[in-house]
Order: sequence, then C-alpha cells, then structure tokens
Amino acid sequence: MSQRRVAITGLGLISPFGGDLQDFFARLLAGESAVRFLRTDDIPRPLSIPFVSCPGFDVDATLGRPLASTMDRFAQLGTAAAFEAWADAGLTRGQPAEDRENWGVAWGTALGGTLAYEKGYKELWQKGRERVSPLSVILGMNNAANAHISIQLGLGGVSMSHTVACASSAIAIGEAFRRVRSGEAPVMLTGGSDAPQAYGVARAWEALRVMASGNETTSPQACRPFSADRAGLVLGEGGAALVLEDWDRAVARGARIYAEIVGYGTSCDHSHLVRPEAAGQIRALNAALSDGGLPVEEIDYINAHGTATAEGDPVEVAALIGVFGERASCLPVSATKSMHGHQLGAAGAIEAIITVLALHQQAIPPTAHLHEIEPACVGVDHVTSARRDQPLRAALSNSFAFGGSNAVLAFRALAH
Amino acid sequence: MESLELIREFLKDRLGVALERVVADAQLASLGVDSLMMLELMFEFEDRFGISLSKDLKSPKTVGEMVALMDQLRSEQN
Repeated sequence: MSQRRVAITGLGLISPFGGDLQDFFARLLAGESAVRFLRTDDIPRPLSIPFVSCPGFDVDATLGRPLASTMDRFAQLGTAAAFEAWADAGLTRGQPAEDRENWGVAWGTALGGTLAYEKGYKELWQKGRERVSPLSVILGMNNAANAHISIQLGLGGVSMSHTVACASSAIAIGEAFRRVRSGEAPVMLTGGSDAPQAYGVARAWEALRVMASGNETTSPQACRPFSADRAGLVLGEGGAALVLEDWDRAVARGARIYAEIVGYGTSCDHSHLVRPEAAGQIRALNAALSDGGLPVEEIDYINAHGTATAEGDPVEVAALIGVFGERASCLPVSATKSMHGHQLGAAGAIEAIITVLALHQQAIPPTAHLHEIEPACVGVDHVTSARRDQPLRAALSNSFAFGGSNAVLAFRALAH
Repeated sequence: MESLELIREFLKDRLGVALERVVADAQLASLGVDSLMMLELMFEFEDRFGISLSKDLKSPKTVGEMVALMDQLRSEQN
C-alpha cells in the first residue's frame, strides 16, 4: 500500500492557565509562566515545590461524575484532552455515521495511575488497613487512559499505551503517525497524560537532585532551560491530544488542517540510564529528517526537550550542532518547559501541539527566563523573552527520555 | 447509619445521583451501578458495617433488595 500523507486535524489540551488552547498558546507566546509554588498536606513532610497544576480543570463538568469516578487523575486529564481534540477536529461522539472499527488510540504515560496506587499504599501502610478499593487495578493500570478514550469515542482499532519516560507521548504520536501513513488506520487519536503529584513520585524526583526549588515568589521563574543559572526541572500534571487523519480523508470532509506530520525518528543512547549522549540524539534527529524527506535547510524551528538540568541542556545543543552544522547558529530554538513545566508522559504531546501551533500561526514561543545563556549551550539561535514572528516552513519537536530513549517528530506547515 | 442512607451517600458521592432517586424500587443499574460500582458499593458496606460478603453473593437488582440483603447480613454477623 502506498504511503498516505497525514494531517493534524484536531488539538486538545488541559491548560494550566485555565483557558482554552488558543489562550494557552497566546500566553506562551507572551512568555508567561504557569509554574506555581505547591505546598501539600502530605505526611511526614509536606511537598514544597514549584509545580504546574491544572486548577481550572472541572472534572465533573467535563467528564461527568460517574465516568470520572472510574478514573485516576491521569486518565481524567487524558480523556478530557481527547474529547477536546475530537471536538476540535469536528468529529462526533456517540453514534457516528462512518465505520470506526479500524480507528485507534496511541497514548503516552510515564506513570499511569500512580495516585490510585499511592492511595492504596496509604490505606495499607499508613492507616493499617488490610485491603484497598476494588477499583484500584482499573484506576492504576497504565492503559486506563487509552482504554477509556477508545470506549468513549467508539474506536474499534488498536488501543495502546506507550511508557517511555519523558518520551512516552512523542513515541505514541510517532506510532500513531505510522499507522495512518501506512493506511492501517484512517484516523488515530494520540497524545499523553500524567499526574506526577503523587507524594512518593515527587520525593523520588527530588532524590535524583534534578528538581528546581522555589517559593511563592520565585517558583514562576524556577525552570530556566539553557540558562547559566538553571537549577533543574519543574514537574507538572497535564493531558494533551492530537487527531491524526489520512490527508485525503481530511480534505474530502473539509476538515481544518493545522499542519502535516511528516517524520518520526527514534534511537537509544545505549550508554547510560540518565546521562544523555549527543550521538544518540543525533541519530533520532537525522532519522526524523530522513523519514520526513526534510533537508536541514527547511527546518525553521526546534521545540527543544530542554528541561533545565545541568547535563541535559548542553548535550541537546551539541546534538543540534551535530545535525545542523554551520546552520545551527541561525536555527531558532526554544524550550517551552520554562513556562509549562515537565509533564513527563504528556510533555511530548504538549510540545508537539506547541510546535504545530507555531507552524500554524507562524510564531515561535520563547524560552522564558533566559537572560544569560550557559556557555555550553551557545551555538543555536535561542528565542528568548517573547514571541518571534517569522515564516516557518517545518519544525521539529524533541523528546529525550531517561533510559536513553530519544524521539523526534517532524512537522510541515501548510503552504502559505 | 441505616443501609439506605449508606447507599444514598455512596451514589451521591460517586455517581452524582440525587437522593430522591434512591428509593426502594429503583433499579441499581438505572442509577449507574454497573458491575464495578457494585464491587465498590459492597466494599463500602463491608467497611462501614463490619460485615463480610461472600464472593459468590448474588448481586441485588434494586435498592430495596440491597437494603434487605445488607440488613439481613448485619443482623446475622453482628
């Protein structure tokens, strides 16, 4: 079967700012941070960390109480994002006119239903009880979000979850892209979600010494990728979804097409669990460019993985220089995690959406709080402070995970 | 707490069911209690009333049947 072109026809996201997707992107273009200081009532020692929450997410209003009762927070965020993307694509829920038996879902989550499991642990070991809720398994399972989405949207094709740490949803999107491109599925709903505010999870990240610290005043500026004074990553909860659709089908039904997804590259550093290697990232970048038939000269924007860790940021810049050579110095790059934080298994999908919107609106969001570039991160054209409006033909979104798993997605703008 | 009160509280909290709909002849399925929610509801009864429900217990169909069954088990086991 000949390869199909793949259109992005729907986008959905639970915004930490509380508004809709357009509001989210407008705030990022303006360099606004969604990071806030989080203080919990956990025992024995409350969490006191910069974090990105979705306080405006009305679970009952969005999903209804009965459905929400059968979901962990990660599945709630994911299913709600999927509903938004579905509606954005002009697709109906309920009884559809067309056969959806080979439409599918590919979802990313690093943690799955960690909050549900943690609740069970607290019952057992904190309260001394002998048993946990009967729903614990279905709340906690990693494929809960994609299962709920398939059921709610009536999709009879593949329903799969990808757990690849911080690259989870980039890989889910890439795998969904391949299914549509091959003709196996005319439509795929894809994306990712995570809720890492579980006490044990946050403490585990703290123990790795990669988390930025902050207080009420400093938390909004806590995540400073590529900056000389960067101090680590900021975790966040989130859910984001995209509708990938056979191009001819999308055109035939008159769907709005945001951009085309054209390439997907993966690799493994195969060297260390947490220390990234430029060589591995270069392989993923080249694979995405090759897969998409994109010469480096056509790439006008890179949405970096850029988490603001000491080791990660310089290696990513080295990888970009390795791929783009002399052109790297005029290659626009930004790390939007400086504003929306790191949603782990949802990060790749959030950043894919940002990259798609950048192409669609021909405007690049900045790396916020970047005043003095780390010497080891010099060599690319860092977009700082505020939006940059310029013609954008194609763009890449990088996701580089613990474990050395790398994923790069390539998108092309519609002809302007 | 009475059995009916517990059912009402559970259905309001978990499924958003209005209290006045939880009457004796109401079908539990029509109130949104599927097989998973039935497990949760039985778990709640065991927890709150200190009773033990057999694994092969036949699921009641109506609110009234549930109340009667729970009242019977409470009087047998407590």
